[in-house]
Amino acid sequence: MRRFPNAQAALTFLAPLVVLLIIWEVVVRTFDVNPRVFPDLEAVAAAGYESLLNGSLFSHVGMSLWRVATGTIIALLLSVPLGVAMGVSPPVSSFFTPLVRFFSVLAGIAWIPIATLWFGYGFGAITFVIFNAVFFVVTYNTLLGVASIPLPLRHAAASLGAGRWAMLTQVLIPGALPNVVTGIRTGLGFAWRGLIAAEMIATDQGLGYMLFLARDFYRTEVIVMGMIVIGLLWLALDRLVLAPLERATVERWGMVRAA
Amino acid sequence: MNALLKLYSFYVRATTRWPALRSIVPFIPVIALWWIVAESGMFPRAFFPAPPDVARSFGSLVYKGILPEYLEDSVMRLAIGAAAGMALGIPLGVLVGLNSRAHKMLWPPLLFFQAIGDIAWLPILLIWFGFGIATMTFVIVYTVLFPVVLNTVLGVRSVPVNLHRAAQSLGASRLRILWEVVLPGALPNIVTGVRNGLGYGWRALIAAEMIVGTSGIGFLMFDARRAGSVVEILLGMVVLGLLWYVVDSWILVPIERKTVQRWGLVAR
Repeated sequence: MRRFPNAQAALTFLAPLVVLLIIWEVVVRTFDVNPRVFPDLEAVAAAGYESLLNGSLFSHVGMSLWRVATGTIIALLLSVPLGVAMGVSPPVSSFFTPLVRFFSVLAGIAWIPIATLWFGYGFGAITFVIFNAVFFVVTYNTLLGVASIPLPLRHAAASLGAGRWAMLTQVLIPGALPNVVTGIRTGLGFAWRGLIAAEMIATDQGLGYMLFLARDFYRTEVIVMGMIVIGLLWLALDRLVLAPLERATVERWGMVRAA
Repeated sequence: MNALLKLYSFYVRATTRWPALRSIVPFIPVIALWWIVAESGMFPRAFFPAPPDVARSFGSLVYKGILPEYLEDSVMRLAIGAAAGMALGIPLGVLVGLNSRAHKMLWPPLLFFQAIGDIAWLPILLIWFGFGIATMTFVIVYTVLFPVVLNTVLGVRSVPVNLHRAAQSLGASRLRILWEVVLPGALPNIVTGVRNGLGYGWRALIAAEMIVGTSGIGFLMFDARRAGSVVEILLGMVVLGLLWYVVDSWILVPIERKTVQRWGLVAR
């Protein structure tokens, strides 16, 4: 066992989940739960297998991920430069902080009604909701990040002869990076929920739609399968992409962050 | 330029005297811009109403008593959900944080169920409980619970072992260690968790009200969308934004700052 520390860690992580699965199966069996209330394990597995075979799971997941990716990338391209630009000068940043805060507080789900009115039901509205959730949160965090760089650091760089470009690439952006990454993680968390909610309301494809459609037919096994897929996807995104990214930037660039 | 400078210095002086101005004045240009764009007729008026339209609909909805009632419904739901989430989450977090066996058993499922996310529960909750208060409460409790638990665990585990030992060697009982060492040490994290949880819970509430909707601000907005009334949607957004802004920056942030200053183990 010593040779595979990762395998052992994975085992201790997975064991409680397996126990949970067994409890689920035993409870459903012994109490003979109506499949309309809660499905048993085989039904969920069968639903998963079936949707894998006919490819519907792939198309739903692909569509959802595609929407998230589009919305997030557009949002990042716009929000990081904007946040840096607003954060550079203290008066400007203190002027914009309440504004951006207000909109970041409103980001995501609250835009669903108006997004569906402006863009119609479908790709546009959902991507807009995701864009929105990421955009304001990342702008806010970038703004805070740049504004929180101690002025002496900027003065030191300037007195060492750093030009505007060097200041931007070597002081401002690295200094703000931990905040930017935290913003991305929070923003994506909101965006992911917004995605599921928007897909339930405003489309005919995607994970949220799959769940909501299954509800109409009382197909709890499809719902539970979809929930598991949603959980696994987010867990993978968060643990394999976002958390390492955050850790790396905080370790590399984080200035005074403890814990 | 000179006039601008004078204006700016006036603004700075005014904001130092009344700090509240600092969070109000920046909205004036935004509202002005909104007004100008709406008046210019760039977009059809029905799609993009001007601020006075929204103000008028605010007046009429308050007069009819719809807005106060919906607002009360939403806030009550959030308050009940948040209270239940904290009542469950903090003890659970302390348990998982202190007991390594509980940690081993419960940590992976906690992460997994947190990842499923509140809104994904809506379809199956609708089957179980129907369109009603139970569904809504479940979603909010669920949403608030996880950030609180995860942050409490983090906080409890961040208390240095030496503090436990010191308290123990001074003769403190386990209950006293819990009350006077562990809880205060974890408090900053707990407060952060509550704040995050409320942020998520509040969004989940809006989504649930849209989908499940019988009353509440989310329902107001979605109902307006069905009727094609952009004015009421915008009104809903403004009310939501203001409400959360006030709760967050006047209640939650000061509490967080106070606890971090008072109890935070991280010296700033």
